[in-house]
Amino acid sequence: MKSDIIKLDELNRREFITSAAKACLGVGLLPMAGSYIHNNVNALEPGARPATARYVIYLNMTGAMSHLDTFGTNPDAPDIQGPTKSIATSADGVFLSENLPETARHMHNSAIIKTMVTSQGAHEQASYLMHTSYLKRGTIAHPTFGSWVSKLSGNINTTIPSNVQIGANPAGAGFLESKYGPLPIGNPSAGLANSKIADYLDETRFGGRLAMAQKMNASYLNQYDQKQVRAYSDLYKDAIKLMRSEDLKAFDITQEPEQMHELYGKSNFGQGCLLARRLVENQVRYVEISRGGWDTHDNNFEAVANNCADIDKALSGLLLDLEMRGLLKETMVVLTSEFGRTPKINPRDGRDHWPYGFTAFLAGGGIKGGTVYGKMDKVGRNPAEGKFIDPASLNATIAHAMGLPLNDVQYSPSGRPFTVAHDGKPLFDVLA
Amino acid sequence: MVGRRVLILSVLFSFLLSSRAEEPFRIFTTSTGQAFSGQLISYEGQTFYLKGKDNKLYPVQFKQLSANDQKYLIKVAQSGSVPKGDPRLLNKGNSDTPPSPTPSSNSTPDKTEDEKEEIVVKPITKPKPKLRAGSFFAYKPVNLGQDPSLAIENAKVSAIPRPDEPIDFTNHVLPILDERCFSCHNAPYEKNGRTIHPKAGLRLDTHEWVMKGNLDNTVVEAGNLEDSYLYEVITLDQEDDMFMPPKGGALTAEQIDIIKRWIMEGAKASAAGGEAMASDMSNGISFHQHIFPLIEERCLDCHSEPYVKNGRTIHPKAGLRLDTYEAIIEGNLDGTIIEKGNAEESTLYAVITLDSDDPEIMPPKGEPLTEDEINMFKQWIEEGAKENPTDTFAKPKEEKVALAPIDGNSEESIVEKLSKRLKPPSKPQMAAAQKSGALVTLLSTRHSMVRAEFSSGPNLIKDDAIGALSGIKNNISHLDLSRTSITDGVLGEVKKFNNLTWLNLKNTSVSDRGVENLSKMPYLTYLNLVSSKVSDKSVTTLASLKNLEEIYLWNSDVTKDGIERLRMALPDTKISF
Repeated sequence: MKSDIIKLDELNRREFITSAAKACLGVGLLPMAGSYIHNNVNALEPGARPATARYVIYLNMTGAMSHLDTFGTNPDAPDIQGPTKSIATSADGVFLSENLPETARHMHNSAIIKTMVTSQGAHEQASYLMHTSYLKRGTIAHPTFGSWVSKLSGNINTTIPSNVQIGANPAGAGFLESKYGPLPIGNPSAGLANSKIADYLDETRFGGRLAMAQKMNASYLNQYDQKQVRAYSDLYKDAIKLMRSEDLKAFDITQEPEQMHELYGKSNFGQGCLLARRLVENQVRYVEISRGGWDTHDNNFEAVANNCADIDKALSGLLLDLEMRGLLKETMVVLTSEFGRTPKINPRDGRDHWPYGFTAFLAGGGIKGGTVYGKMDKVGRNPAEGKFIDPASLNATIAHAMGLPLNDVQYSPSGRPFTVAHDGKPLFDVLA
Repeated sequence: MVGRRVLILSVLFSFLLSSRAEEPFRIFTTSTGQAFSGQLISYEGQTFYLKGKDNKLYPVQFKQLSANDQKYLIKVAQSGSVPKGDPRLLNKGNSDTPPSPTPSSNSTPDKTEDEKEEIVVKPITKPKPKLRAGSFFAYKPVNLGQDPSLAIENAKVSAIPRPDEPIDFTNHVLPILDERCFSCHNAPYEKNGRTIHPKAGLRLDTHEWVMKGNLDNTVVEAGNLEDSYLYEVITLDQEDDMFMPPKGGALTAEQIDIIKRWIMEGAKASAAGGEAMASDMSNGISFHQHIFPLIEERCLDCHSEPYVKNGRTIHPKAGLRLDTYEAIIEGNLDGTIIEKGNAEESTLYAVITLDSDDPEIMPPKGEPLTEDEINMFKQWIEEGAKENPTDTFAKPKEEKVALAPIDGNSEESIVEKLSKRLKPPSKPQMAAAQKSGALVTLLSTRHSMVRAEFSSGPNLIKDDAIGALSGIKNNISHLDLSRTSITDGVLGEVKKFNNLTWLNLKNTSVSDRGVENLSKMPYLTYLNLVSSKVSDKSVTTLASLKNLEEIYLWNSDVTKDGIERLRMALPDTKISF
């Protein structure tokens, strides 16, 4: 919305009235999705190189996951590990925490970057950096990675948006047009809200109402057959197209059999992953699911174990399901958080913020399975082997696999240049 | 009373039409999603008359209907199985008597015959002014010694060709271009002291210019509608930016049909004279017509006369020049490359017939010469490799033949190799391929291969949707038919996509009968049959796909036993079950 206000001076009168009507008069049939479905119809553009990952499911562990007790264990340094043990995985020489026994079975399709670093030690700023590759500034809103995907390569399925956010909502499209921003879904089990014909309307009456509206509009439309006027009635058409479309079922996880729900676990996060799989199956390009509860300043080990029960079930279920359906080959699953947690265990049995070294887990499409990149030092404080991988480079790695042009410059309203992954360089060591 | 009259009228009307094959009732949908069950009665220009189940007539604008319906209407209109004209007018003419005494349905048969005649000859375009014999305005040029009135008569007749008459460019096509295109696409002319050039550098004022096209490309490919940009732009959706003519509405269906027929008949300058142009090589090969264009295209990059580049003289490779007839016959220091009359002994013939992976094969870059091209060289050499044969013939028509097989076991992936062999499809070809709802994208900006997928509303995609893709079938490496309503029949078409490497049939009703068609697909590396109806019977077919890297069979009817057999046959393939 902020960006809309910044760009108000660019609107002409008619556009202003259109957006005002949309915002104030409830013109959109799908209030929440109206602006997305209306605009989001630019079809897929070929990438700079063939995409090895056409789809990305990004699992965002908000609150900063303790890397030491999940994907970044350090079995050589028992002091910092506390009670967490390491277990072997399906990839030789790769270890995970005992909290992730199911995920360990998929390590041959997955890679871990152990030398993630970030310059931000506060949640909001670090999360912003992770999503946008740029530092948070007061003067500009940067687009999230999913918005870049939408902007740079377009939609495969033009009926539904190509950028979906399940759970907590981070930044949006920034200075890009709001149509590239994520379609937010609060509760995965509820699907896309307000997208059905009201119960009291049957198909004939609904058709009758539309016909009446058309009739009333007809003379005006004939008289002013202009782009902006047509765009306005297109809003209805697109909304009805989506409403009637089979593609809308992509948002409805109640269509899944019971054993599928169980495979992912009944947690909100698990159901979100199930929804993400349905969306990817319907060719939505970028789905992010956020899962909070990781800010374990107190009682770290118990909280992480509890969280991991959900995560392990959902992540392994997701990887298995994608694999069975032949989707894993083209779908990259990323799991990381805004920063890591201290190797030192504090007096409250917790771990505090640690931006100087944490991990990112990547699996599936475009990823060289069974890879571990880099190594932390003996005390788990700083990277000892391998390059420092900052958020921009992680995003560059994902963007490279998706075939996005890393050097495509988009200008903000004030004329400053920005690219999808800022100054990040792809980490080819983890790419297939 | 009124209802009864309508009923009787419609009874009479259907009686009138009974001699034609009647169109069945079907569901029409508008672009806004409203559906309507109706039967196509007739059409006039862009208006189609549908009869509802309630026997009422509904005039519908072509534009308002969905793409599928539009396709159907075009098909019907072109097949000529429905009459042209407003059925209400037809009916009126039919019952010339005042409305109150309704004509009985058993009116005399000869009268009915008359009316039928009337439907057929109803004028389509605005009536041409009647010209006095020899009038100045009858601008048809008349040869000396010819009766002018006869010439005018001929001109009038030929303006609308009969369905079986070959299309004549000057008489049939040029008038349409004159009426609708010349205002922008004419020869350059002076206006207010400035030269006005034709738009897009495209002239349509003579046959020669029409065939030449503009700097971008040709606009007419004889006999090939898909590649004829001219036909494409006049059949686009009217909303499209490229729709032609941009002013004054679309060409009429008849005019489009004339242009279509003209292109299909070979886009000839005149209807009669065209046959002689059809070339074949059975009477001998001409060096200048057949051989040299090919040499120019494929050999002269390396084997032309020496030239200076960046201050250095670039000599032809192997000291061999192929830029003139004499040079070709002379050969290089090693000797001659052509033994007149003996292809097998000729070095030139030997190097173009090597295996495609032989390092000595010529040309070293691009795809090897096709079998036809090789045969042409052979025939030319066998005939004595003459420069000036007794007859000249047009260049033989290029015909695509299957590429030599590619070895799947090297570093570079199959799809990259295929990409190097082919040219990327042209924009009109891509646009044509997307007509039936497919999303067609190049694998990357510098790739020749494309992925075709039916991503939006796949449940509405039926078997006929695949037809639009056949124009670029060699370029399709990835085909996603998952979640569509296709049946086994579609795979009979898919098997013609020679270069397919990736095929997704997930969540479709494809069964063993369809999968049989896949046995001859040499480059298939990825096959997804999740949630399909495929059973153990397909294992033999699947086992024959030796390049297969991964196959997905979860939730299909293949049993554990079948999977075991498949694993035995394809030990290196990832089999997901």
